[in-house]
Amino acid sequence: MANLKEIRNRIVSVSSTKQITSAMKMVSAAKLRRAQDAITQMRPYSKKLQEILENLSSGLDSNEGVYSQEREVKNVLFVSITANRGLCGGFNNNVIKTIKRVADKEYKGCNITIVSLGKKSNDSFKSSPWAEKGKSIYTKGISIIDDLTFSNASELAEILMGEFAEKKQDKIVLVYNQFKNAAVQEIQLEQFLPIVPTQLVDSKASSIDYIFEPNKEFIINEMIPKSLKTQLFKALLDSRASEHGARMTAMHKATDNATELINSLKLSYNKARQAAITSEILEIVAGAEALK
Amino acid sequence: MHLEIITPEKNIYKGEVSLINLPGSDGSFGILTNHAPIISTLKQGTIKIVESNNSEKTFEVKGGVIEMNNNKIIVLAE
Repeated sequence: MANLKEIRNRIVSVSSTKQITSAMKMVSAAKLRRAQDAITQMRPYSKKLQEILENLSSGLDSNEGVYSQEREVKNVLFVSITANRGLCGGFNNNVIKTIKRVADKEYKGCNITIVSLGKKSNDSFKSSPWAEKGKSIYTKGISIIDDLTFSNASELAEILMGEFAEKKQDKIVLVYNQFKNAAVQEIQLEQFLPIVPTQLVDSKASSIDYIFEPNKEFIINEMIPKSLKTQLFKALLDSRASEHGARMTAMHKATDNATELINSLKLSYNKARQAAITSEILEIVAGAEALK
Repeated sequence: MHLEIITPEKNIYKGEVSLINLPGSDGSFGILTNHAPIISTLKQGTIKIVESNNSEKTFEVKGGVIEMNNNKIIVLAE
């Protein structure tokens, strides 16, 4: 039986850990709410943009243009979207592992570049030659996660579009955690460039006779970058919401585990105390018996 | 006519207006009620609107798209 003081110390340390994890859970829950709100805010914008784009592209061959050019894949760029902080279960590791797996299997022999967003991805690809080039492309990989605005996201999107248009990269893939709900995140490998052509389902969209100012082609060329920026921004927002969801779940589990541990420690503490009392009584009785 | 100005981060404006002045890519233009359906792109500049009660409002934009159809205007701004 462990000594009483040791157990007491352990109980104190486990309960303070429990306090920390439950506080972190509350913080994540609040941040998750805000992150989810941001996603909902963006939805009308991306929906409308998509509608206008569909209105426009009817009658035009959308396979033309710099951003939809399919080339033989020799240079692949991965945008690895993770968090700046840990303690969120498999959130960061899933992204990193997925990239390593896909890079080794599907893109064997290609020149691979990784643009790391988030400290965790940055740290784990630090020694990899893939990340060297990525760093020279985009340097704000860590600050963008804490300061996530549309203008920051569009700056990165413009850099990526430039890389593709100048034929330095033949394919750009976003790897991030898609937000399903607070407990479930799904790893998403999303092709950013070249643009995956969307299937137009409804033909009714083009029935209105719009005036195009200055002209259709010009507007399309303006709007495609916008829709790419929106896509990247959405991936970043999704990843942020997933991060807080993952952390909330992880911290919830940690709090539960701490509670369980405290209970079992309390039990063994009481047992040890009882044993001490019993042996004390035995000693007294034995002493009294000896005096007779 | 009904106007909505939307950015990726939030909804800036929603309401009835009588006139809207926009910085189009080919130069500034204005839209009055019952204008024909139009889609146009915007460049950096100021959007000026006159609300139904004659008060004026301005918004700065970096660029964007505007769609008007059936007296409904949607400005996707940046």
